[in-house]
Amino acid sequence: MSKLSTAEIVQELNHAFAEEVEAATRYLHLRSAVRGLDRVVVEHVLKDAFHETIEHAENIAQRIRSLGHVPKLEICVSCPNEPLSGREALRQALIFEEAALECYQDLLKKVEGDVPLEEFVRAQVALEYQHVAQLKELLAE
Amino acid sequence: MDTWKEFEQNIITHSAAHHLMAIDDLVNKLGYARVSDVARRLNITRGSVSISLKPMKEAGLILQDENRHLRLSEKGQRLVDGVKSKRVLIRRLLSELLGLDEQQAEIDACKMEHLISNETAQRLVAFFRFIDSAQHPAHDFLSAWRGQHRPPEVCSTGGDQRSAEDKAES
Repeated sequence: MSKLSTAEIVQELNHAFAEEVEAATRYLHLRSAVRGLDRVVVEHVLKDAFHETIEHAENIAQRIRSLGHVPKLEICVSCPNEPLSGREALRQALIFEEAALECYQDLLKKVEGDVPLEEFVRAQVALEYQHVAQLKELLAE
Repeated sequence: MDTWKEFEQNIITHSAAHHLMAIDDLVNKLGYARVSDVARRLNITRGSVSISLKPMKEAGLILQDENRHLRLSEKGQRLVDGVKSKRVLIRRLLSELLGLDEQQAEIDACKMEHLISNETAQRLVAFFRFIDSAQHPAHDFLSAWRGQHRPPEVCSTGGDQRSAEDKAES
């Protein structure tokens, strides 16, 4: 079994839920902020990432519900009204995707022993890892 | 420049000041500060912290080592020390001289600490030196002020007297 109590697990999942919802909001904003020809190149990347991130948030909310709790959402997002290049938008996305990856990696250590939850978090780590790798590839010179 | 524009030209924002002070507090307390620690301390997401730290790293206020541990640069440390000193000065001005309760003084000091200029802070230091001196004019000034401007009596209902807005910002 996990070293954490159910309440502690829910708290950790709520943090992950907030990371995902906030990331989705940022993707939504980044999509609108990219200007010029770059839009053609990165718009679909940001749009797909937005939908995937929402899906991740829904998965976490579902997991919290399955533990008998209601997800708690605490986010604080402020996105400036400055135009961005495609590269800058991807750089910003990489920053919060890496943060989400770290969040799941830390959570994985905490839920060791709770097989279903461990598998769920492991899958999230794999997905986030993929996102980070994809963004790094796009940003490679 | 118009004063209200100057407000936006400030070196650091309120949020940036809190990020820097959180790193300073964590390093002093734990010996290190990671993005996750700062996020927990400020009760925001790691994504938010990482995004906020980017311009501060670019401005040379924060350094990050290979273990992703954060610390303040000399420039960042100077800024934090300055903000903390200003907070102490404003808090003292508000509570000791103007008679606000400590909690309200702390909240308002937090709102102003990163906004006042170094020149204003230096004038405040000089003012407190005068007040703290054993000179008669200082004593007379304080007595006259306190005699005429007693803080209003607050009805005690046993509850928190702060407004919802202040509670949210504290």
